[in-house]
Amino acid sequence: MGLITSMAVFWIAILVVFVLVNRGIWVFTDVSKSMSMFMLEKALGPPIDFVDGKRGSAATTWIIQGALWLIPASVITFCGLWLSHDPEALHSLSSWGLNPASSSLLTSGFLIAAYGSVGMLLIGSSMHIVPELGGTTLATEKNATLMSFVWTLSVIVMFIAANKPEIVGIKIMPIATLLTNLALIAVIVNMLLTAASRTKKIPLPGWMMIIGMISAPVSVVALAVTGSLDSGTGQWLLTRVHGPTSLFLLMSGAILYGASRGSGNPLWSRSLAAVTMLGAIFTINPLGLIEGEIASEFLGIDAATFEPSRNDIVAGSFLLALSLIPIIALSANVLATMRGDDVFMENPDSPGMPEINLAAFMAVPISIGGLFVLTDHLTGTNELTGIHSSLVMMGMWVVFVPASLGAALSIFPEVSGRNVLSVNRSRWAFWLMAGGAFSGLAFTMMSDFSDMALLEAAIEEENTTSNRIRVLGSVLFYGTVLGSIYHSLNIISGSFRGALAEEGTTPSSTSISSPYKLTKETTVRKILAQREGKLDTVVVPEPSTDGPGSPTEL
Amino acid sequence: MLKGKSPVVESELYDSGGARLSDDRSTLIGEFLQGEGEPSSSWVMLVMGFVSTMVFLILYGILFPSSDLPVISSVLPVFDGVFDSGIWFFILGAMIGVFAILGTLLTEATSE
Repeated sequence: MGLITSMAVFWIAILVVFVLVNRGIWVFTDVSKSMSMFMLEKALGPPIDFVDGKRGSAATTWIIQGALWLIPASVITFCGLWLSHDPEALHSLSSWGLNPASSSLLTSGFLIAAYGSVGMLLIGSSMHIVPELGGTTLATEKNATLMSFVWTLSVIVMFIAANKPEIVGIKIMPIATLLTNLALIAVIVNMLLTAASRTKKIPLPGWMMIIGMISAPVSVVALAVTGSLDSGTGQWLLTRVHGPTSLFLLMSGAILYGASRGSGNPLWSRSLAAVTMLGAIFTINPLGLIEGEIASEFLGIDAATFEPSRNDIVAGSFLLALSLIPIIALSANVLATMRGDDVFMENPDSPGMPEINLAAFMAVPISIGGLFVLTDHLTGTNELTGIHSSLVMMGMWVVFVPASLGAALSIFPEVSGRNVLSVNRSRWAFWLMAGGAFSGLAFTMMSDFSDMALLEAAIEEENTTSNRIRVLGSVLFYGTVLGSIYHSLNIISGSFRGALAEEGTTPSSTSISSPYKLTKETTVRKILAQREGKLDTVVVPEPSTDGPGSPTEL
Repeated sequence: MLKGKSPVVESELYDSGGARLSDDRSTLIGEFLQGEGEPSSSWVMLVMGFVSTMVFLILYGILFPSSDLPVISSVLPVFDGVFDSGIWFFILGAMIGVFAILGTLLTEATSE
């Protein structure tokens, strides 16, 4: 079946899911709720008693594990970058039976960053954001906490599979897929039960996160139903829809919420949020890997040759180009929300804010780059595939990772009850991570361009300039490793002995606290748009007098 | 904690205006004092372990001058070639970071 038909089935499936989530499933709603709850807790037997069911424990566990996964992800990516100019650097590991190559390390680093770090940070954030926006609590904290360990196990298996696809004749990647989906389905059911118990209308960021999670398995089912999974086009489409679309929706919901909560400003535009959500579903996201082979590896099926028809090329290019609309809408909405009334970001020292700012700022140029590379690949020109690897990594390390980490950091005090240990360390970690990723990968991309130019000119000599730039790129990327370690240390130490969230809150001049201290002029709309802004909010102006001062009487 | 009466614990005299009458602190430390602090057992064990290791290595070198160290000599070839590339210095840095996190987890979880 053609690309547009497969996409149409996906759209209808998402629409049906959305209606079912909102309307319920007729008389079976109550039965399905109680049965799902039983399956999530009691049916699991003794293992469920090993985990904590305290409020916020699930989100904290997912966020901490996600932050910890940043370290192996950045270290492995760094090693992959290093091996691209010095392939024999890790030959001593051969005595342990390991023969790492640059490409396999970069792929596994990307997968760990996507599933381990970004996936866990975003799912963890959603476990706080969705119940918060729905005015309820997470259906089962225990199951969600337990599933974080299953997810971590799946990432470990994924890393092994990326470097050693078969062990004793058994394909490893499908095992990782099985484990990931097991955890994901449990999380989705948990989210649906949470949404079902909502006491108020869930705003769009909450729906983005729910639909983002659901879209991952739905895309596989939709493509399987249309019989596209065996074709190269179907596998390419699955790579696009399963990963980037799902993660983009999750990321959008998280940073829209995080930008508002962290800055203390209301979400700038609801219509742009709606455009982001619908646009993400109805278009093909240009971020992420370009080849469909990875989808076949995950499903354990044979990779098919990518031979899109003329209609597929036209439809695919059109949907890819349209994807810039939701991305620009998201970027504009987040940046405007963070800036509020003036041109400066509110609460710039608040952990998570610089990360969200960076992600929102970089999403547009990286997406435009991805659009060029993807359309080049789709049309079979393949002139830009040389920079594909660097661009994908840049999308991961300057858009997805900062966005997910920023959202997680901004809600961390609420979920764990404590602030991160040091705001100063958090700022250092941001600069190390962002500077290392951007400069390191920019130099690597320059080297890619140099190699492409020599390849085009059919020069067979070794490109020494390119190699030197690659050395610089990999060394600069080490900043990301250091930043990851700093962030992880800050989060872990903070969860034990960080300032208590109630003591450490530093609301901005426009944020609601109780009672609300009016230090500058504001509007009633802005006050009411705050989360706790109600008509009975106490508005107390700062005490001041025009009378002359006098010595304090003792 | 100080034992018995000590001239260090001394009240200061002020006049009615709040000014201190005596500021001669050099006379306060006039005798030998003993505290009650002790090094923690973990540090004692670490130092004892380090000294024992050094003693063992030196004695082994004297008693069996041409023999390889047991166990260690068979493990060392596994690390052949390590540090023959600059990448290992970076990996070492990352490992220190990982151990710092593990150490933080352990100490934070076990501290009172």
